[in-house]
Amino acid sequence: MTSDHDVIIVGAGLAGGILAGVLAEGGRRVLLLDRGRSLAYSEIPGDHLRNHRLTLYGDHTTPDPAGHPRVFIDGAGVPHTVLPHDARYQLNAFTVGGGARVWGMQAWRFHPDDFRMATRYGVPDGSSLADWPIGYADLAPFYERAEHEIGVAGDHAGTTHAPRARDFPLPPVPRSPSAEWLARGADRLGWRTFTPPLAVNTRPYLGRGACIQCAQCIGFACPTDAKNGSHNTLLPRALASGRCTLVTRAHASRVLTDGSGQAIGVEYFAPTTTDSATLERRTARARTIIVSSGAIESARLLLLSASPLQPYGLGNHGDHLGRHVQGHAYPIAYGLLPPDVESSLLGPGVSVATTQFNHGNPGIIGGAMLANDFVKLPLIFWRQSLPPDTPRWGLANKRAMRDLFRRGIDVRGPVQEIPSPDSRVTLDPAVRDTFGLPVARLSGTTHPETVRTAEFMRARAEEWLRASGAERVWSWPAEKKFSAGQHQAGTCRMSADPRDGVTDPFGRVHGHDHLFVCDGSLHVTNGGFNPALTIMALAFRTAEHLLASP
Amino acid sequence: MSLSPSQLTALRSLLDRIIPADDFPGALAAGTDTYVLRHLLGDGSAGAHVLLLGFSQLDAETVARHGAHQTFATLLPPQQDALLADLAAARPMTFWPPPLAAAPWFHRLVELAHEGFYADPANGGNRDAASWGMLGYAPRTTPERAAP
Ligand SMILES: Cc1cc2nc3c(=O)[nH]c(=O)nc-3n(C[C@H](O)[C@H](O)[C@H](O)COP(=O)(O)OP(=O)(O)OC[C@H]3O[C@@H](n4cnc5c(N)ncnc54)[C@H](O)[C@@H]3O)c2cc1C
Ligand code: SF4
Repeated sequence: MTSDHDVIIVGAGLAGGILAGVLAEGGRRVLLLDRGRSLAYSEIPGDHLRNHRLTLYGDHTTPDPAGHPRVFIDGAGVPHTVLPHDARYQLNAFTVGGGARVWGMQAWRFHPDDFRMATRYGVPDGSSLADWPIGYADLAPFYERAEHEIGVAGDHAGTTHAPRARDFPLPPVPRSPSAEWLARGADRLGWRTFTPPLAVNTRPYLGRGACIQCAQCIGFACPTDAKNGSHNTLLPRALASGRCTLVTRAHASRVLTDGSGQAIGVEYFAPTTTDSATLERRTARARTIIVSSGAIESARLLLLSASPLQPYGLGNHGDHLGRHVQGHAYPIAYGLLPPDVESSLLGPGVSVATTQFNHGNPGIIGGAMLANDFVKLPLIFWRQSLPPDTPRWGLANKRAMRDLFRRGIDVRGPVQEIPSPDSRVTLDPAVRDTFGLPVARLSGTTHPETVRTAEFMRARAEEWLRASGAERVWSWPAEKKFSAGQHQAGTCRMSADPRDGVTDPFGRVHGHDHLFVCDGSLHVTNGGFNPALTIMALAFRTAEHLLASP
Repeated sequence: MSLSPSQLTALRSLLDRIIPADDFPGALAAGTDTYVLRHLLGDGSAGAHVLLLGFSQLDAETVARHGAHQTFATLLPPQQDALLADLAAARPMTFWPPPLAAAPWFHRLVELAHEGFYADPANGGNRDAASWGMLGYAPRTTPERAAP
């Protein structure tokens, strides 16, 4: 069989762009498909009602939202057909670059113990907690590579939760006065803080300019292209190599397999001509297929690719495909700064963090990194951050906005979730997308241990604000709920033994020679950190593994 | 779908109680009615149609409390606020035909008003970034250097 491509990558998101860059520069001919478009900065406007921080009425990146619903099963078992702007949809950005086009840029290495949660804590009843088949040392060189080739700004000496061999390529983001105030509060508690790593050009780097500290960062595209992802680093490198063909508005519908069950290509829908609204069904063949569509859609695509030989979906021999869905419980403590300390309105905003509570909390499984929040938008502040007893309308509300907008502060952190096999992605039996394909059906809920850890971390977040001298502190209890969202992970977990997961430790689907998964799906556990740097490190590692394979 | 003149009057008076003017512009001065109207009339959804009926209901509530010679717009601000507080607490004095219900209707209008008032000016309810000026907020973005 001949083919124009050696590798087909489904998804030009954060991981897909890295795979394409490394493989194309390494001499492979790559076909890179993304259902979204390559969007210019001007196509992602500063719309405070439609962005990836507040999708009240949609967003400006999702192609054909109405044509791609999902089904959400609520706690009572009732199905709801939901569209992308609905929180229950668990949206990440569907555009070239993926979530990183509009992300908050926190670029964390996981803690070494994040890879061995079962060994460290045991397996709680009803959970599918397990160790990763690889450890921190396996990923460390690729974390380093991601930091340098994507561009991460950080405090090398202060970032101590995981061993580091080499400094960050960029100096840390500047500290705001309110972050200094939090750092002093932490000192009083004996907690160590530092400036967290962010994938942002704090000075010009890799041919692009520096961050101008604008005031609408997370959820939006960057005015100076200082927000680093694969869309402005590895993807341009892939295209410059002359060996990568990027097809946008190309929606993969199936991984094709041959009579022996091996993957041989991808079926997808793409416009008949570049600007056409009409989509046609196409197939492409290649020796290697990599599914990199985010944890929900990657699982869905493997489920949709069931064949007579693999009737439950590709890689589903052990009944793990689509299970163990994780995101992050995200406890938040809100407070008011004393009048003499102003919270800055400078982006990105996150500039103080502690990893004091990621592990070693008595009686608690795991924990979370805690940090201050991103630069805030007026409407989001009005919706979420006013003290709970503030009247919701009238002069009292308006005065509270005026008096407190500059004084609001919050501390929050991504709690390491305890995976549950019942939290899962399946194919909905009834609802179909615009192509007639069954949509993702999301069901299940958080393991109770996740709620316990989240409550513990909420108390730490409150404690931090109080010790810092916040005038008021408040927060809302954690609850059990299906969790995936922007940090979605876990649906194609890697395992050494084929019975324990979907892929091998390099992301190769068990039982398949040339079919790989590469995105958050692989995460056995999702760390007490924002997940993207780990996703990037895995992408570098899988790509290098492929280049080294005959 | 459209609003009757009396519904429009009621809507405007309502918005200026939800976000009143003080030293800084209120909802009307910031053009928030433009945003709310665009929302209510623009999408033509059944939900929006139901919301429109609420403005007539507002006048009915006024009559029930203050007599037939009054409309919501002619009440004094404290009287308007008292009436709205009743609605917010789900204590209407008239029958609200389902699916319309006093408290959810009022809360939805409170949401819509603040969406318009605090969102970016391009959404039509925050003319000249009036609310942002009050808060000292500005996005401070400059044009992109080079599109990737
Ligand atoms: C507002 C926001 C803030 C965030 N902040 C942070 C942060 O500070 N730190 C952090 O670590 N993470 C953050 N994240 C999460 C981060 O963006 C994701 O973890 C990351 O993008 C995941 O990379 P990925 O390659 O797995 O998937 P994605 O980046 O989601 O890419 C998947 C791609 O696949 C495409 N695709 C899906 N289905 C198909 C199909 N059938 N056919 C073809 N293409 C398909 C999609 O269009 C998409 O481009 C944030 C996300 C958002 C939205
Ligand atoms: S704060 Fe900096 S990185 Fe964030 S969008 Fe603005 S300029 Fe870009």
